Amino acid sequence: MKTYEVFLKKAGKEPFGHVGSLDAPDDHMALLFARDSYGRRSEGEQIWVVGRDHILAGNQSDLALADRSHKHNDGRRVSELRTSQRLKKELGE
Amino acid sequence: MKRWESLEDFEAFIVDGGIVEPSDEMPDVYRLAVFKFIELHANSEYMGGLTERDWIPKAPGLHRKLTALAKTQDEIGHAHLLYMIAADLGVKTRDEMMEDLLAGTTNFHNVFHYRVHSWGDQVAVAYLVDAAALASQQAVFKNCSYGPYKRILRRIIAEEGFHMRNGEELLLTMASGTDIQRTMMQDSINRWWLPAIQLFGPDSRLDDPLLRWNIKSERNEVLRDRYIQKFVPQLLNAGFQVPDSGLYQDGETGRWCISDIDWEPLKATMRNGGPDSKRRLIDAQAAWKDASWVRDALDEAVVSQ
Repeated sequence: MKTYEVFLKKAGKEPFGHVGSLDAPDDHMALLFARDSYGRRSEGEQIWVVGRDHILAGNQSDLALADRSHKHNDGRRVSELRTSQRLKKELGE
Repeated sequence: MKRWESLEDFEAFIVDGGIVEPSDEMPDVYRLAVFKFIELHANSEYMGGLTERDWIPKAPGLHRKLTALAKTQDEIGHAHLLYMIAADLGVKTRDEMMEDLLAGTTNFHNVFHYRVHSWGDQVAVAYLVDAAALASQQAVFKNCSYGPYKRILRRIIAEEGFHMRNGEELLLTMASGTDIQRTMMQDSINRWWLPAIQLFGPDSRLDDPLLRWNIKSERNEVLRDRYIQKFVPQLLNAGFQVPDSGLYQDGETGRWCISDIDWEPLKATMRNGGPDSKRRLIDAQAAWKDASWVRDALDEAVVSQ
């Protein structure tokens, strides 16, 4: 038996999502079991079944590289600048 | 992969709402506790699925047979999903879990240790027991610290929701039936009321690690009481009696209070010494043996590749 991971995609804009795993003797049975285990109520419009050994899993150190705050903007600076401009304007008038 | 220097660090992570994944180096005590909890849940779904299966040919009418079939598929399916995530914890393989269940060395929930005598009993199980099981699963889902369990519970709870509504529909059908049907239903409620409220277990220990590690989110007695406040009025409204001579409603708070529960018989039941435990296990062993040709065919398919 081989372990497979199952991904489902609902109709519409949602991306594929991981739903769980299963054991099957071959790829054909894996698809059949995936439908029975994860798609009995038409939960998805499309299904991917992937052998677990074929998934390349990165770890946290692959993702959390360093401080990447310059790649985000939480808008705090914008709101500070807006407030100070508004105050200046009000005081000036 | 996450790792923690000490159990204290790990517990601080859990208190902050942290989620543990299978690849993390979790403390052994946590791994074992989560595993045992999921194994008990899986075993219970499996044993419940087998009872449901018994009622496919006996359920009245095609529609009820179809819903019994769908529910059987759901319960066995839940067991399957749970055994997969339990196996990933690396404590036992799926085969070992099945062997232990069938040998009677591991446990399953109290409610599957009693005989389902009649269609009325089957309705009582669907109405009272499924709702109790759902309430306790929802409490686990709410704050569950083990990622794969939380994700799989979302699906299980959605499907158990169908079962609960199905149970209520069946109960109300019986309630609006003939005198014979109502009497039959009352007999079944008398048999299943106590097992259903015992499903929540005795009061939680003050230092219950399952609560500390966010596997359970609420104390047993809180869940049990919430169930009682919901189901006593529901049963009374449907024209049934609650089989508890000590039951009363507090005049001031309006809360329902039940008699003290003797937990001793439950302990024996949970050790597979309940009224129907032996027959259930023999039946499960027979079902496992009957399906051996399917497993053999799958194994042969592996070899021939």
